[in-house]
Amino acid sequence: VGDKGKSKKDDNSSSSRPVKRIAIIGLPNTGKSQVFNNLTGEYTLVANYPLTTVEMKRSRCEIGGQICEVIDTPGLHCLYIHSEEELIVRDMIFKEAPDVIIQCIDANQLKQSLTLTADLLELGIPLVISLNAIDETARRGVLIDSDGLSRILGVPVVESVTADGLSTKLLKDAIGRASRGNWSLRYGEIIDEGISAIVSELPEKMSFKKKAAILLLLSDPFLADYLEAEYGEEKVAQLKGLVSRIRRRFRGNFGSAINKKRSQWIAQIAESTTKKHKIAPGEFSKVFGRMSRHPIFGLPILVFFLVTTYLLVTHVAGFLDSILSAALLDPTVEYITELLPSGFWNEFLVGDYGILTLGLFNAIVTILPILSVFFLMFGFLEDIGYIPNLCVLTKRIFEKIGLTGKAIMPLVLGFGCKTMATLTTRGLRSKKEKFIAVYLIAFALPCSAQMGIDIAIFGRIGFKAFMIGYGALLIIELCAGLALNKIIKGEEKSFFLQELPAIRIPSPKAIAKKTGYRLYWFLKEAIPIFIIAAVVLFLFDKTGVLDLTKTLMSPIVEGWLGLPRDIVDVLILAIARHEAAAGLTLKMVDTGALNYIQCIVTVVITTMFVPCFANVVAMCKQMGVKTGLAMAAAINTSSFILAGILNWILVFTIGR
Amino acid sequence: MNPMNKKRERDEHLEQLWYMKEEGTDSMDVLKTNMEQGYDAAIIDELVSEGLVELKHQGNTITLTKKGRDSARQLIRAHRLAERLLHDVLGGDYESGACEFEHTVNPELVDSICILLGHPRTCPHGMPIPEGRCCRQSSRTAQSSVIPLVELEVAQSARVAYINCKSDQQLHKMDSLCIRPGAVVTLHQRYPTYVIECEGSNIAMDEEIVSNICVWREPQNFQPSEADTPGRKGRSYRRRGKFRHGKRGRS
Repeated sequence: VGDKGKSKKDDNSSSSRPVKRIAIIGLPNTGKSQVFNNLTGEYTLVANYPLTTVEMKRSRCEIGGQICEVIDTPGLHCLYIHSEEELIVRDMIFKEAPDVIIQCIDANQLKQSLTLTADLLELGIPLVISLNAIDETARRGVLIDSDGLSRILGVPVVESVTADGLSTKLLKDAIGRASRGNWSLRYGEIIDEGISAIVSELPEKMSFKKKAAILLLLSDPFLADYLEAEYGEEKVAQLKGLVSRIRRRFRGNFGSAINKKRSQWIAQIAESTTKKHKIAPGEFSKVFGRMSRHPIFGLPILVFFLVTTYLLVTHVAGFLDSILSAALLDPTVEYITELLPSGFWNEFLVGDYGILTLGLFNAIVTILPILSVFFLMFGFLEDIGYIPNLCVLTKRIFEKIGLTGKAIMPLVLGFGCKTMATLTTRGLRSKKEKFIAVYLIAFALPCSAQMGIDIAIFGRIGFKAFMIGYGALLIIELCAGLALNKIIKGEEKSFFLQELPAIRIPSPKAIAKKTGYRLYWFLKEAIPIFIIAAVVLFLFDKTGVLDLTKTLMSPIVEGWLGLPRDIVDVLILAIARHEAAAGLTLKMVDTGALNYIQCIVTVVITTMFVPCFANVVAMCKQMGVKTGLAMAAAINTSSFILAGILNWILVFTIGR
Repeated sequence: MNPMNKKRERDEHLEQLWYMKEEGTDSMDVLKTNMEQGYDAAIIDELVSEGLVELKHQGNTITLTKKGRDSARQLIRAHRLAERLLHDVLGGDYESGACEFEHTVNPELVDSICILLGHPRTCPHGMPIPEGRCCRQSSRTAQSSVIPLVELEVAQSARVAYINCKSDQQLHKMDSLCIRPGAVVTLHQRYPTYVIECEGSNIAMDEEIVSNICVWREPQNFQPSEADTPGRKGRSYRRRGKFRHGKRGRS
């Protein structure tokens, strides 16, 4: 709250080029990141589900001839805080006091959003409203009078179809007209007097005193902690005394009293600005949404998506791979072999561990086609809003493994990116649930990139292998969950209350763009790692270290896991980057170095073995360095044990 | 002082002592501070002589006797039920209304309101409503007009009457999703978990939360296909044995 914002403002007035801070704020899944992308010309990941953005993102750009710092934020329901992500946003608002706030409202959820609007108006920061997805409401027969809304609230309201980015110019113009709006809601005599009494007791230099006073009346725990840290226990004790005196006078719950006054205000606004036309509600998207979480129809739909993905990745990516090989890999290898017939340089460039064959071309020729096809499919599923429905289907299963409430969504999101999913566990209050969730996300859950590659490998040997491999991973994950649930003590249960996004027909352009960026990020991050890993393996091989390692590991690798000793190369590459390991696995499958069972065991062990580096960092961030590393170690050990067990089961059931 | 005012002041003292019992304090000083100008030593003496309260430690602590607890319990029950009725169900302003209510009603009327509202467990502030005889017998002689949302059939809609809620956080979260008294909700699915629709958005939730949301039994007009044919009313709201309402655990 305090002086930080103030001092920054002073800096601004003295410097010749003031930076205007613009915060983009709104409910979860209302298109904040899309507005951010449109305003700044950058790209952050957008998808049709809550929790896509878990961290604050900032970027500078010029709007109306002024340098602006635009801040993208995780979703916020209201300034009374429910979760840690929300706390970051509120802290940012209170500490930095942005000059303008853009509130993103999903036109489908006008009423829900107006609660936050009320909070923001109460703060008194100039506000602009970006009314997103207005095209969808129009299709549903709901018309929103945005001019009327603007008149009532006293702030500019920009209608926008964010996915097209057409209204960016309008929004930029509106930022200049941002206004504090009309806010005249009174909560009743006792509360209003109480608010002014607290305001006069709050420290002089604090900003947003009125809002802080209301939050104190609602006994917001985070704010009391903050005040204690900033202004000392004495002040807080004094304020708490005042609050309890007011509470006694009121003899009631401020929460319901304040909420009720606000819902009246909201209902009035919503009523006067929305018009409904009768349109039959049974449109495709609604039916599809319901089907996809239905206990009977939901499963076939899930299987349909899995099989489609399997077929696309296997056939389309395989086809692309062969084209690229013919056009790129084969001629280069031939050319180099002609130029440098055998010897050190030939091996260094195009040998078994060559930087071109195992490094660059592995990434471009083998992995890139797989990921492009898979990410297209995954992006499609993300943008129609299918993924959160999985948490309805899987709720009962998660309950069995000790995950009751808020932990379900992070685990479902783990199929996208395990690192992001681990970060979303920040919101979990129960230590037990957090531990189980973080562990299970890192363990036998394949992230989207891993899944794409796994599918490609299984594609080489048949759909049955895919079912066996993923069945094994599922069983392992469930058993791990059951075991952790038994071992870890703690009875706290969090409640489960999860909004499900509306199913939308996605724009192909948006999916293509998202896939493009994902591939670009992959290439940028992974190619150097691929090349370095190749160089390291090459050096290990030349110096004999590799051979020694293989001999040392052979009882485990050959004896227990039943894999050829060369799989050590794959395991070493997996430490660097899972995709690199997969490239080599694919090659081994193609050359016949791995048989049916070995192939399944390899995929299962590489899916579990060494969660990627970013994921380990995220684990340490959530659980503390010690616990995070211990978890990673436990995961690695158990991946060897379990993959071995799987090997022996397969050997005895299918035969060698 | 006229007799009605007298009774009122006595009642206020008893209620305050009940609040203090809930907060776990029995200090005379706290009573004095809490009652502010309303504190009257003469009334305390009267309550002591009637055996409703007990003074200990040279009058420094004050507690309700068994008899006193019973009287206070009736008052609190009436007060909190009235709040529920006025605030959530009738949509009125309870700041003033409910305070007068408990001084004028008899226990039978209170029980009728309790039955009508489906035996609510908490007042709008989240404080427990003391159980009455009707709750223990889970009396069904008068039909409750308010039932828990879990008792709706799939695809049925109803208007929220009130929400039984333990935690402020949960209540706020629901409020931010527009699940509040007066909102129309539709139950879409029970299994594997509950999905309801409220103000155009779908929300998945667990059974505990759904059973805390209480809705009006009367069918609303917005569902012409389902509702308003008198013969069907009873049927479409038939109870599922599992969720039979009186059997919900209450302590």
